[in-house]
Amino acid sequence: MTITVLKPGLETTVQDYPGRQGMLRDGVPPSGPLDDWSFRLANLLVGNDPGAAALECQFVGPTMRFEQAALIALCGGNLSPKLDLVPIPMWTSLRVEAGQVLSLGGAVSGARAYLAISGGIDVPIVMGSRSTYVTARLGGIEGRPLAAGQTLAIGRSSAPVGVGRSVLAARRPPLPNDKTHRISVVPGPKHDWVTSAGHQQFYATEWKLTSRSNRVGFRLQGEQIEFSPQAYEKDPENGDHPSNIIDIGYPIGGINWAGETPIILMHDCITLGGFIVPFTVPSGEFWKLAQARPGDVLRFTPVSVESAQRVRRAIEEICSPSSIED
Amino acid sequence: MIYSELQIAPAGDRHLLATLADDASLEANFVTLNFTAELDKLAIDGLTDLVPSYNSILVQYDFNRLGYDDLRGELIRIYKALPSFSELEIASRLVTIPVLYSDPWTKDCIEDYRSKVAEREYDPLFVARVNNLCNPEEVVARHTGCEQWVVTVSSFPGLPILRPLDPRCELLSPKYNPPRTWTPVGAIGVGGTSTSIYTIPSPGGYNLIGRTPVPVWDPSQALPAFKDSAILLRASDRVRFASISREEYDHIVNSVREKSYAYAIEPGVFSVSTYRTRLAALASGAVAEGRRKI
Repeated sequence: MTITVLKPGLETTVQDYPGRQGMLRDGVPPSGPLDDWSFRLANLLVGNDPGAAALECQFVGPTMRFEQAALIALCGGNLSPKLDLVPIPMWTSLRVEAGQVLSLGGAVSGARAYLAISGGIDVPIVMGSRSTYVTARLGGIEGRPLAAGQTLAIGRSSAPVGVGRSVLAARRPPLPNDKTHRISVVPGPKHDWVTSAGHQQFYATEWKLTSRSNRVGFRLQGEQIEFSPQAYEKDPENGDHPSNIIDIGYPIGGINWAGETPIILMHDCITLGGFIVPFTVPSGEFWKLAQARPGDVLRFTPVSVESAQRVRRAIEEICSPSSIED
Repeated sequence: MIYSELQIAPAGDRHLLATLADDASLEANFVTLNFTAELDKLAIDGLTDLVPSYNSILVQYDFNRLGYDDLRGELIRIYKALPSFSELEIASRLVTIPVLYSDPWTKDCIEDYRSKVAEREYDPLFVARVNNLCNPEEVVARHTGCEQWVVTVSSFPGLPILRPLDPRCELLSPKYNPPRTWTPVGAIGVGGTSTSIYTIPSPGGYNLIGRTPVPVWDPSQALPAFKDSAILLRASDRVRFASISREEYDHIVNSVREKSYAYAIEPGVFSVSTYRTRLAALASGAVAEGRRKI
């Protein structure tokens, strides 16, 4: 069972969930889908394990010819999918016949769509995962985004399911309709390097997502926030810039002040560095980031660790067969 | 200063940052790596990853198995119960890394930066000048003059950050500003008081003084030294850099290609008390030397 890539899309990669685990200490980030909510539902629709390897399509999706019939599902941002030029629904399992061409265009809502194929994408497991980590050329198809002319091998489905299965409307991630994403953050680990006035500034600012944003990091544009005196009166071994610190391990979701520009550390980020992380986006909010588009506004609100964990647990419950109706 | 009580701050819903000291001294790192080794040994259920750095550890946990408050309390308790710092004995292998200093590849990379980004002195000359050394040969003498301690392996896959164990071999140099957009694999960089070995063609800010023909990151795990892991060096290993000629470099490149290269790796234990005794001897020696000059 194979699929031929006719057009690769902007940067389409093979990802699985939860990606490479337990390797942060070796300098290897997890990779994996940025919106793991949509990703897992797409896999469940086609009868796959929720973490099976599927495609992450960003902003402009790929065009592909199916050499054999297959069951597919698309979830996440709407990249105007068509089968032989006829529009097809998202959040639903569909049958593609041998020779048919699936094409994804530009994003009309959200930014990232997930294409799951029954049986999963059959690429080698590298360090415990099939996820593509482009920076180090690991996983996926030779560690790279899809290229025109390539063929993708599809695995054999262990639990075949039917067409027309769909995700309950209430279980789909709710995208905002005002281009403003309201995102919770947990203050820390270096919250004390920003004054309380700086915290208020951070929560009051309408941060704009810039086009220099990708799977490594999302760059934000906004105001300079006020750093604490310790940012200026510190031992030189912390570095020259006020936002420099003695290197720390970086959490995924950490909002990293590299000089004046905040960068949200995403799934392919470096795992250690010497800039402050005063706030961290918890994992239950990543799907919002994944579906934000350059130019959109991000507004941040502080939450407790426990509250962030409750949100994550609720998403875990949604990413289960109970969200699928036949 | 090493804290008597572990400082802990949340880092989102799945991580926390434990800080053990307020400075980046080697002693702070010994304590940090010893604590890391203790956590590895205890294999706490729900603790899923650890990123030790100079003086802190990023801890990843599964909150369905281990709550934040419970983990926090447990870490503080384990840290308190550790033996006193001066008695530390840390497992530490000694690995020899051959280096062609002032090599043509990093020279090309520096030239590329000079032509496209900003004019700058050739890195080996720059590092010599800012350290009051006469020439790049004296930089090499310092860089190969003692064992270097692996502080952490992180940021990019398998990338080690090292510090000299003998303060007389320290090289202090400011990093690139703006940083390079690419660096050749195997490049040896120095910045601040640290050395790193570039493992992938990545951006970087350290001054480039040489290149090693041997990988320290091998995702194909083709060489025998990578049989168990894609990563050669671990935090708390020691490295001795050895200066080699271009002929030796080419010879080693061939043996790496033929997958027959055998790394010089000696098992060992690093004793903090022995290290302190040596440092004290050095300090008194320096005083004696100073007196002679007077």
